[in-house]
Amino acid sequence: MLDGDRWARIQTLFHQAAEHPAAEWRAYLETACPGDPGLAAEVLELLEEDARASLLDRPLAEVAHELLHPDGAAPIPTEQFGPYRIREMLGEGGMGVVYLAEREDLGSRAAIKILRDAWLSPARRERFASEQRTLAQLNHPAIAQLHDADTLADGTPWFVMEFVEGVPLTAYCRARNTSIQGRLRLLRSVCEAVQHAHRHAVIHRDLKPSNILVKNDGTVKLLDFGIAKQLESLEVPVEQTQTGLRLMTPAYAAPEQITAGRIGTHTDIYSLGVVLYELLAERLPYDLTGRTAAEIESLITEQIPERPSLAARAAGGSSDAAVRAGTVGPAAWADLDVLCLTAMHKDPLRRYRTVDALIRDIDHYLAGEPLEARPDTVGYRVGKFVRRNRGPVFVAATVAAGVIALVVFYTVRLTRARNAAVAEAARTQRIQRFTMSLFQGGEREVGPADSLRVVSLVDRGVQEARTLDGEPVVQAELYHTLGRIYQQLGNLARADTLLQTALDRRRSLFPAGSPEVTGSQVALGLLRVEQARFEEAETIIRNALEESSGALQAGHPAVAEATLALGQVLQARGNYDEAIRVAEEAVRLYTPPGDSVTPELAASLAELAGDHFFAGHYETADSLNQRILGMYRRLYGERHPQIASVLFNLGASQFDRGHYAEAERFHRQGLAVYQSFFGPDHPETAYAMTMLGRALIFQNKFAVGDTLLRKSLAIRERVFGPDNPVVASTLNELGSVAFQQDRLDEAEAAWGRMAEIYKKAYDNKHYLIGIALSNLASVYVKREQYLRAESLYRDVLERYRGMLADDHVNVGITRIKLGRALLRQRRYADAAAESFAGYQILIQQANPGVSFLKAARTDLALAYDSLRQPDRARRFRAELADTIRPAP
Amino acid sequence: MSAAQSADSDRQALNELFSVTYEELRRLAGSVRRDDPGATLSPTALVNEAWLKLADSPSVARTSPLHFKRIAARAMRQVLIEAARRRNARKRGGGVLPVTFDDGLQENPASSEDLLALDAILEDLARINPRQAMMVESRFFGGLGVAEIAQLLEVSEATVLRDWRAARAWLARELRGRC
Repeated sequence: MLDGDRWARIQTLFHQAAEHPAAEWRAYLETACPGDPGLAAEVLELLEEDARASLLDRPLAEVAHELLHPDGAAPIPTEQFGPYRIREMLGEGGMGVVYLAEREDLGSRAAIKILRDAWLSPARRERFASEQRTLAQLNHPAIAQLHDADTLADGTPWFVMEFVEGVPLTAYCRARNTSIQGRLRLLRSVCEAVQHAHRHAVIHRDLKPSNILVKNDGTVKLLDFGIAKQLESLEVPVEQTQTGLRLMTPAYAAPEQITAGRIGTHTDIYSLGVVLYELLAERLPYDLTGRTAAEIESLITEQIPERPSLAARAAGGSSDAAVRAGTVGPAAWADLDVLCLTAMHKDPLRRYRTVDALIRDIDHYLAGEPLEARPDTVGYRVGKFVRRNRGPVFVAATVAAGVIALVVFYTVRLTRARNAAVAEAARTQRIQRFTMSLFQGGEREVGPADSLRVVSLVDRGVQEARTLDGEPVVQAELYHTLGRIYQQLGNLARADTLLQTALDRRRSLFPAGSPEVTGSQVALGLLRVEQARFEEAETIIRNALEESSGALQAGHPAVAEATLALGQVLQARGNYDEAIRVAEEAVRLYTPPGDSVTPELAASLAELAGDHFFAGHYETADSLNQRILGMYRRLYGERHPQIASVLFNLGASQFDRGHYAEAERFHRQGLAVYQSFFGPDHPETAYAMTMLGRALIFQNKFAVGDTLLRKSLAIRERVFGPDNPVVASTLNELGSVAFQQDRLDEAEAAWGRMAEIYKKAYDNKHYLIGIALSNLASVYVKREQYLRAESLYRDVLERYRGMLADDHVNVGITRIKLGRALLRQRRYADAAAESFAGYQILIQQANPGVSFLKAARTDLALAYDSLRQPDRARRFRAELADTIRPAP
Repeated sequence: MSAAQSADSDRQALNELFSVTYEELRRLAGSVRRDDPGATLSPTALVNEAWLKLADSPSVARTSPLHFKRIAARAMRQVLIEAARRRNARKRGGGVLPVTFDDGLQENPASSEDLLALDAILEDLARINPRQAMMVESRFFGGLGVAEIAQLLEVSEATVLRDWRAARAWLARELRGRC
């Protein structure tokens, strides 16, 4: 046998010889170790071995796999286990082996679990005993029952439990192609079993499909409480629970299991969420195969999983999952997404608080009722200035699924559990999060068209809120939130009452300048903007700003909020110079120390960009938007809707300058982001289609543009209902296409319907009605019904008066159009006056070259000719020639 | 805490760590087989997964990831040797198929005998050069990389490569002699 010294010599020779070519080894070794041919021969053998393949080169995977192949499993024990005799092995895990056994006297079957290698450590024996105790106290039809327990002669412990002949949950559903409803009903049964365990202060900690078997008759059995944890009490989440040996399967493990956070009932809720995810999407939320520990940890603790609806759709067009996905409507999918992702929220506090709550939402889903859970905000969207103004691109109020959810949350939850803790939690977290998502336009998984349903729910919410007299703070918060919802739904009168009441209540509860009062003032002020009561809006918000600046520390979020709101009012009033100054102040207030980037900062910059856009400072707006784009890339990555919203704004800026091809490019990029993020039939995607369609139409690409717009219209009618302002904005574009292709009846119908929608939605008082009527009048001009057109234009200008600044771009456009109607009636002096007024407004706001300016110049040249003012006529002809001449 | 107490608690921690690791690997190996018969069982993946799961248990928390991997490699060896022993026990009486490696045919499945032989030879190597035995164990059973082994043993990577090459040649020759 070898000793250390000899081995050392062998190695030295081995390495030295290896430096030489193989042919010289023998000669070298004979010289190097004279008198020890044995040594030389041995080294030579090693050198030859060095060149060959060996077991040690093989991947251990291969070796291990071979060894662990089923027929390599442990031999079946021959001992007698009480009255049971073992028949075959059912499975083995880290802890032990489970066998199928038969009770000889009764002929009944059972499962026997034996602790493998019991000698290894007392900890293992303790854990095995603990599982046994756990099972003994759980008595539920969906949990496998403990029958008996004992120890073998050699000290190996074992216990007997109910034998479950079934298939793992996921396999069962796959094999039977179970419907989504059926899958949820099965999961509900699992939840009941888990709930039973939780009531006995037992946390399973290892919930996964292979531990959930479905029997032939469709009943569910929960198995393997092997690493279950007995809590001392469910009310007190105990820290020490995580000190147990954590042996769960990572695919279903909650983030707190990975990071050694607090384990509790919420941990099981997470795993149930993952199981639901797998049932819905036919795949796990994260692909952990081949990942390192660090990668797994970061995936589970950081990465937001793809929504199950998208994952199911991505499963492939003809797969069962995709087909099944198609059987559920988009609104139902939105609910399923919320349900599933709430259960598996990374933050335990934001999951369902109890399995009971999860079961309730499953029931709500199955009954077609709104969920209690609400979606997280997917993202803030700027997009405001493209929409709110510039008539054609208006996108109206958001009716988020969250509306429904919030209202139900309040009506059901809050009134049910009125203790202060719940109310406080609801107030601070739920309300804020919800209003964020509502107003910042994040998740818009809108329910099917049914604004009636939403309205009746909000109405119910208001009634419930009235009963909360004992909790004025919560009540005021509710009025505030519900008021904002009504505003979103377009019911401005009710919004007014509620927001006013909320403000009054808060004034009696909180001092002037407090964040609460300021928040109410801001909300009321912004409602006034929408009511087109700009002066009042400005007064209210200036008041809010003054009071909060006096009462709060400089830089308090409430002050920043009021500042931003003032900027919005000023923008709506068309007072862009001051709006810019105020928005710059808001940007300053929202600028965090260092060069970090926050969504609030980006939002205030977006407001500023909007001001510059409307003021006609397109280049400033563009460079701001590029900066915002950079921020959003840092915050959200490349394929986020926020990115798209900035692209739309950049596109709008190009569009306004008549750079339609550039606009098309931005809008195409934006559309691509929306399509991949929201899917093809989503209202957001419809919005992007409208934007792109518009850019195409202005390049005379009518066919493609028309197709896009019709798609968009169909989506919006389906989602928002036929009378929603959002539908009107698409009608506007479709009217344009028809008009430019001389399909005047169609154009008249589209614009007429657009006007009616806006009249209904905005109580006959909104500048958007003016835009619709102004477009409608163009039809009459083309039909040479000039008087009819003129009276419409004058109606429009009357509507604008007091609502828009006198030099607002829409006023300018309408005056140019009115000028043309007059020109055609050969009323040259009147025509010249209107066209020139319109011309002067537009020339200040946009770059020359816009079609309306061209029209004005053409008309002015004609009018001045007829008025025998050749100098003036010549001037406009020259300008016209300049703008028509192609760029060098 | 006295030095003796400290050493004692370290030993205890190590024991606990070992049994936990052993158990986890056993479980993982079993689950790979159960859930997906075609899945490859990479020791690196198993050890990483085991680390992930055990990193926060009190006994492991004080252990460096590298040290953990080292112990996990040992546990992996134990798991496989145990499996090989069982397999061998069942085969006995049914005649053992001779398996050769000298032709380097990769499709030739490794037998439990090979693994048991390797285990025994490694024990021999450990008697004359523990460092090399540990190196082989870490690399073959634990999937540790050269850099990791160098760090673990506090030697240069070149040294690891030299030691590995010689040990590999010697083990291969011994293996041929015994099978």
